[in-house]
Amino acid sequence: MKTRVRVKKDFTMSLFAVLLGMLAGALLMLVTGSNPIENFYYLFRGGLMNIERIGNTLATATPLIFAGLSVAFAFKTGLFNIGGAGQMLIGGLCATAIGLTFSWPKPILLTVIVLASLFGGALWGALPGVLKARFNVHEVVSTIMMNWIAYWSVFYIVPQYFKGPFLETESQRIPEAASLKIPWLTSLFSGSYINLGIFLAVVCVVIISIILERTTLGYELKAVGYNRDAASAAGINVNRNIVLSMAIAGALAGLGGATFYVGFASNMQIGVLPSQGFDGIAVALLGANSPWGALAAAIFFGLLHTGKGFMSAMTVTPPEISDTIIATIIYFAATSVLIERNWNRIKQYSPVALYKKVRPGGVDSTAGGEQ
Amino acid sequence: MRKWLALFMIVCFLFALVGCGDDAPPPAADDDENGDVVDEAELRVGMVTDAGTIDDKSFNQGTWEGVQMAARDFGLETRYLQPGGTTEADYITEIGNLVDAGFMFIVCPGFKFETAIYDVQDRYPDAKFVLIDGYPHAGDWDPVVKENVVSIFFTEHESGFLAGLATALQLGEGEVGFIGGMEIPPVQKFSWGFQQGVLYANENYDTNIVMQAENFIYEGTFENVAAGQQLAAAMFDKGVDAIFAAAGGVGIGAINEAKARAAAGEEVWIVGVDVDQYDEGIYETGKSIILTSAMKYIDVATYDMIQAELDGTFPGGEILTFNAGNYGIGIPRENPNLDPEVVELVDEAFKAMQDGTLVVSDEQGDLFR
Amino acid sequence: MNNIVEMRDIRKEFPGVVACDDITFQVKKGEIHALLGENGAGKSTLMNILFGLYQPDQGDIYLRGEKANIANPNIANDLGIGMVHQHFKLVHNFTVTENIILGLEPTRHFMINKKTASARIAELSKRYSLNVNPDSIISDVSVGMQQRVEILKMLYRDAEILIFDEPTAVLTPQEVRELMKIMRGLIDEGKTIILITHKLREIMAIASRCTVIRRGSVVGTVNVADTTEEKLAEMMVGRTVLFDVEKGEGKPGKEMLQIEKLTVEGTGGGHGLKDFSLTVRCGEILGLAGVDGNGQSELVEAIIGLRRANDGRVLIGGQNVTALSVRDRIQIGMAHIPEDRHKHGLILDYTVQENLILKNYFTEPFSRKGILDWNYIYGHAERVIRDFDIRAGEGAHATARSLSGGNQQKAIVGREIDGNPDLLVAVQPTRGLDVGAIEYIHKRLVEQRDQGKAVLLISLELDEILDLSDRIAVIFNGELVGIVNVDDADENMIGLMMAGGKKEVSA
Ligand SMILES: Nc1ncnc2c1ncn2[C@@H]1O[C@H](COP(=O)(O)OP(=O)(O)OP(=O)(O)O)[C@@H](O)[C@H]1O
Ligand SMILES: [Mg+2]
Repeated sequence: MKTRVRVKKDFTMSLFAVLLGMLAGALLMLVTGSNPIENFYYLFRGGLMNIERIGNTLATATPLIFAGLSVAFAFKTGLFNIGGAGQMLIGGLCATAIGLTFSWPKPILLTVIVLASLFGGALWGALPGVLKARFNVHEVVSTIMMNWIAYWSVFYIVPQYFKGPFLETESQRIPEAASLKIPWLTSLFSGSYINLGIFLAVVCVVIISIILERTTLGYELKAVGYNRDAASAAGINVNRNIVLSMAIAGALAGLGGATFYVGFASNMQIGVLPSQGFDGIAVALLGANSPWGALAAAIFFGLLHTGKGFMSAMTVTPPEISDTIIATIIYFAATSVLIERNWNRIKQYSPVALYKKVRPGGVDSTAGGEQ
Repeated sequence: MRKWLALFMIVCFLFALVGCGDDAPPPAADDDENGDVVDEAELRVGMVTDAGTIDDKSFNQGTWEGVQMAARDFGLETRYLQPGGTTEADYITEIGNLVDAGFMFIVCPGFKFETAIYDVQDRYPDAKFVLIDGYPHAGDWDPVVKENVVSIFFTEHESGFLAGLATALQLGEGEVGFIGGMEIPPVQKFSWGFQQGVLYANENYDTNIVMQAENFIYEGTFENVAAGQQLAAAMFDKGVDAIFAAAGGVGIGAINEAKARAAAGEEVWIVGVDVDQYDEGIYETGKSIILTSAMKYIDVATYDMIQAELDGTFPGGEILTFNAGNYGIGIPRENPNLDPEVVELVDEAFKAMQDGTLVVSDEQGDLFR
Repeated sequence: MNNIVEMRDIRKEFPGVVACDDITFQVKKGEIHALLGENGAGKSTLMNILFGLYQPDQGDIYLRGEKANIANPNIANDLGIGMVHQHFKLVHNFTVTENIILGLEPTRHFMINKKTASARIAELSKRYSLNVNPDSIISDVSVGMQQRVEILKMLYRDAEILIFDEPTAVLTPQEVRELMKIMRGLIDEGKTIILITHKLREIMAIASRCTVIRRGSVVGTVNVADTTEEKLAEMMVGRTVLFDVEKGEGKPGKEMLQIEKLTVEGTGGGHGLKDFSLTVRCGEILGLAGVDGNGQSELVEAIIGLRRANDGRVLIGGQNVTALSVRDRIQIGMAHIPEDRHKHGLILDYTVQENLILKNYFTEPFSRKGILDWNYIYGHAERVIRDFDIRAGEGAHATARSLSGGNQQKAIVGREIDGNPDLLVAVQPTRGLDVGAIEYIHKRLVEQRDQGKAVLLISLELDEILDLSDRIAVIFNGELVGIVNVDDADENMIGLMMAGGKKEVSA
């Protein structure tokens, strides 16, 4: 139902950004004295070489999809959720706690785990929402603080209640029944870490895009995001929607936490904020804040992360430089916003536009504000 | 614009295509930068770092130096990788990357690799693994060491004992403290050994060294340099004269604090860990605040394993302990900050450990934690 | 060759619409040239091209006989072109001086010399009798004053060609008269003015020539002296326009809106309401006249539910709604055409069809069980677009942002009237509309009345109030001055009351 043009434009812009990112990465490779062609070759091979690696790419992408979806969703509704990391931690904590406490059959256990992480994350997101709605505390500030509250909560709760026999710094390993990894999927991808999380992620992408595009809920949330004053003048309860939006964003990140701590990993470590929570911002930016865009962007980043090690193993590029290269690609790719801002200028100097100037009559699709 | 798009798509497509094309690892000669390979087997040695960097002045660095030593002596190709995170999956991924790249001898420093090695010993039966400070298990601490794995432990308590003894003897009178990284067995054993060494000196050599429970602490990580500095500052303020810092990057923080104080004329000491950290502690005057170091000869152990592999005597399936008996631990050969008499007494204790007349406990007992 | 501006064969297309269809347009030095055309005819687009905000797809611009390539507004500035946009672009917590030198400072010295700037602004202000204090803060000054700051901004940059895009839409009648005086002063100083306005009377009063545009094409350029308002309107719309509202005798029924002793707090220096009582009956249009800022906004917000009442009650259809939410009041049958269409009326990033369901998306048949029925919504949008002649390139799928100002207004009016409300609170409903559209909206408002609905009309334009209302209430300083029947009222009398002169007339 949405205009095709818009989607197509976002897509081109994101591709452009990816290209820019890879160009910047290539430049860095040249500067550090390695061969970009070779590096990129091994980078992509590392993520796609065989079915196991494809599985790992998807597994690495899974928490990123959730984190990106969370940021994108909040953003669509006018909120900036920097709290993905904390929400993931809480989601993961809920999942781990349930997994280590109950020994129910796998289907029941997994259902409860998923629900628990969903609610845990939702709570962690809703709190900043309430602070914003009630006291006008900016969500950037409060979500960052919630990150640290989550960090220290895990720091104390895990060693206190869930520690293994020897290690203070991580939880026990969760039992097989509590893991989102399932044998047939693992063996289908010849031993990869791919787990049910990827399906959960795709389901969430579908649900979120339906919410945003087809439901009155999404209509309200976006209306509040675009223009709070007009929304409240139209009778939409702005405060309720802020809390709800943050809760949904938190729930998504919480689910991402479950897929990370009881899917990709098998236990929880203390003293680490999951970097995926922050990478989610880049995912959302590259994905133009659309659910499907976030999915694609997360898989691309998953590919980079998975291929990175193989690239360092196969070339003389040291791992520290590979890390920098990947970060460069990611952050340049995340600049699609800047590209959008300068889109008209870029277009103006593109070959197509120059051609049109010479031979007028074509249709231009410039958009901008009136006056 | 559209041309760019097409170009990009083609590039992507190509990558994907070649990516899925063949699964065989590429020939090793492909990117071999040392042309003069001595051994026919062309052993390629890889290493995966634990949390922390390759130049952590401690565990990772010690291991890597051993690998480099062997590479120089035997002309091997080496590579290290840094995992993207600290989960088992991250470790296994990097090990897989090394194996796929043809590095079939892989050294992994740190107990964190235990479950990862448990997994890869079956996954890559053709590769050999050296696991330092841990043994493979499925998460249940039930050791399963396959033929392609060697597990290496050190008697940190012995090493800590020698350092504690040396510290006590050198100070004669004063107070000592301890900063640990994570509260894990190797670090705990360092602490317990250190305490026993100090007590031993107090009992047998009339030294008067005070230890208080509040000065034996674990920071909780191996990375937080700033926290290390703060903890050290607090202890020095309370009148502690020497701190045994068994804490990776946290220890670096403690060293920095001590250097700053020493430069300002205060007399404070740090006891280093894992490797000889003397150079780390050198400040403006050219002197070092590292009294001595409780060493684990990780580099030697690593070197030995590589050599064994080349000789065809890789002790696969075994759990090895490096102790005083086989010169796997000790204090540095050079100790500019220790008096010769002190070094002599420490040597005596070392010999006593070797012939079994001196036994250091690796349990807490009634020591501080 | 005394054409200071000549735009030749300018063409600009947006998706689905040709905003400028080979427009050729000439302005003589020293004249006030009016640009007239229906909503969406392409006036703003043409001027945005001249100011460098848009690039034409085709066509050339000649300034003082020389071809110019105006790639961006900075170049336009350098070429002596200035523009006052319909929505001002001022930083509210900056002073007048700071706003005026904004964007210039880095190109001069590193240190901004505010003193000299202030002095120059004061001098300019005096020369053109703008009466602007360089040191006042923007948020403290009236809309009319803000506009004069915008004018000063152009003069400070030595602009010779001044573009005004609907400058009078936001002004009070008094301010309009002052603006006209200022414009004449500018012409006397040798400036050239291009004026976009929908108010024919202003064109007749001040412009020397007028170019009429219809659907992206030029209909013609006429000397104002040789024409009449009726002729201009006909040229623009393509048919004769009725200026007088045809309105039969009203049949007031029972009370629809009752405001009883309402007291609310004011904002931003404005007046709140004090003990304000007013009744609007079914089948009547009650006009509320008053000088801007005398409590009108507060009254409207209190009626629709955005502002809390400190004391008193609001009843709609006999039901006490004082404590009810906006949504509840809408469901009782209240509709609202807001004063600020961008702030309260539209979600600019939503499409037209999405904006048209802003008040009732949650009801059937627009949605069922929380799922939106896009087919129905589209059909509904198509109908409203047709009924209210909302012109947009991509029709129902165009974003509200891409609509011309007048068409945005039509979309809001369409949405609110189409809901068939029992009570319509219409604030400046025809702001920015062309005469044809005004005629239509007025007709619809009267139709509402004739169907027995209540309409509260709040307007700064006395003409509109006098034309449409059955009764006229006057507000001053947050208090009701009085209510008069339209037959007993004339412009002077209302004007007097608006200044606070109590005139007890019972209605
Ligand atoms: N940025 C844009 N994107 C798409 N369409 C646009 C854009 N700007 C203007 N249009 C379209 O171009 C046409 C001309 O618009 P313009 O704003 O020039 O009208 P106008 O003559 O100023 O009307 P009004 O009197 O209502 O302000 C309209 O149909 C409008 O929808
Ligand atoms: Mg306009």
